[in-house]
Amino acid sequence: MTTSVDGVPVPAATAGPARPRSRRELLRVLLAPAAALVLTPVVAASWPTDPHPDPTLAGPGSGFAFDEVYRGRRIQGVPTRTGGRAAAVDPRWQVTVDGRPLHLMRRADGTWLSMVDHYRSYPTPLEAARAAVDELGPGEQLRDTGEGDGGTEQGGHHGLHA
Amino acid sequence: MAYTRKDVTTLTASERRRFVNALLEIKRRGEYDEFVRSHIDYYVSDGEGGLRTAHMAPSFLPWHRRFLLDLENALRRVDSSVTVPYWDWTRARSVGAAPWTKDLLGGNGRKSDRQVTTGPFAYSTGNWTLKENITDSRFLTRDLGRAANPIELPTKADVDGALSEPVYDVSPWDSTSNRGFRNRLEGWGTGRGSAAWRTHNRVHRWVGGEMLGGASVNDPVFWMHHAFIDLVWTRWQQRHREHRYLPAEPPGPGSRQYRRVVARHEKLPPWNVTPDQLEDVGRIYRYA
Repeated sequence: MTTSVDGVPVPAATAGPARPRSRRELLRVLLAPAAALVLTPVVAASWPTDPHPDPTLAGPGSGFAFDEVYRGRRIQGVPTRTGGRAAAVDPRWQVTVDGRPLHLMRRADGTWLSMVDHYRSYPTPLEAARAAVDELGPGEQLRDTGEGDGGTEQGGHHGLHA
Repeated sequence: MAYTRKDVTTLTASERRRFVNALLEIKRRGEYDEFVRSHIDYYVSDGEGGLRTAHMAPSFLPWHRRFLLDLENALRRVDSSVTVPYWDWTRARSVGAAPWTKDLLGGNGRKSDRQVTTGPFAYSTGNWTLKENITDSRFLTRDLGRAANPIELPTKADVDGALSEPVYDVSPWDSTSNRGFRNRLEGWGTGRGSAAWRTHNRVHRWVGGEMLGGASVNDPVFWMHHAFIDLVWTRWQQRHREHRYLPAEPPGPGSRQYRRVVARHEKLPPWNVTPDQLEDVGRIYRYA
């Protein structure tokens, strides 16, 4: 396994799992500011909150932070302005459902999919979060891995294990 | 000698029982959950960095072909007569018939919480407790046909449309590739309508519950679905004998897909095997 300049694992002469070299390191950088926002309402409130963003107005980052109760579930999302140069115009997102991280992934066309609803995508992180709630049964909660695995990240998902 | 993968609707009572028992045994040993975990770990989306192998990439088909072979080998270590049956959802479209019978996969989830309560994979049997999952649910769930917002299974016309594609895959080799056999079969489209999720993707949505999420392998129908996807690939290969897996060569440093897709002669993680080596499986198995 070799690693390219932006830390993305790439295929090498010997095959191996495509995993970030140091996931914890990546998450520490990625999650620290986001965690602060989620846990500090005063700071979080400084983000513009629009529960019904117009996707046509949204840039490639797909809208604003959100915090709403949808079908009895509290869904919150904040763009995280970390993660390298590209994040300045194309932020990653930290999304939770009832406080538990919902892993979102980005498609090449700019749409979003979640770990719960993995075989289609949605125009915004908010719509992806609502669609995930639609799929949760009564009392069913996202598995809280304790690793803050709710961001969008480079590479596959990890830390989802029992 | 090559073994045969059969249409699930044609299995005898004995074949059904042996297939189910082999699944339950590898679940008991903990092997099954390794497959669930692997599928979660190798789902890399194309709007993010990193090498994509299992989805939104040309190697969607060979990755799942090898994944199926690994599962099938695990089953055959338990019972050498077992092979993975395929579910031809263009024909077997009834929720009351195979594979949704009590002696195979059990039926739909119940209304209240979508829990599968019939058949050998019902939670109450104690034999199929979910360990690797996206949520804290421990029981298998299904929502066949999506009761709240119904959809139909893909049709023969959808499969024929994919089979008519003369080229295996096209640049940019991802979920936005609007031509090519691979994405026509994988089923990524654009927009909000149902055209945005077709064929392979649509079947995951039609089954619903566990099959909708990253831990879709928790539902054994995953293997029957992917055996049929694999069968369709063999049909495409027979129809377009002059066409091969693409890309033949890795995208260059100037490409956005540089080091993000697996070319024909590159190793396909997590295995020490190339798409080229997985194209012809005629000596391992065939489809009845």
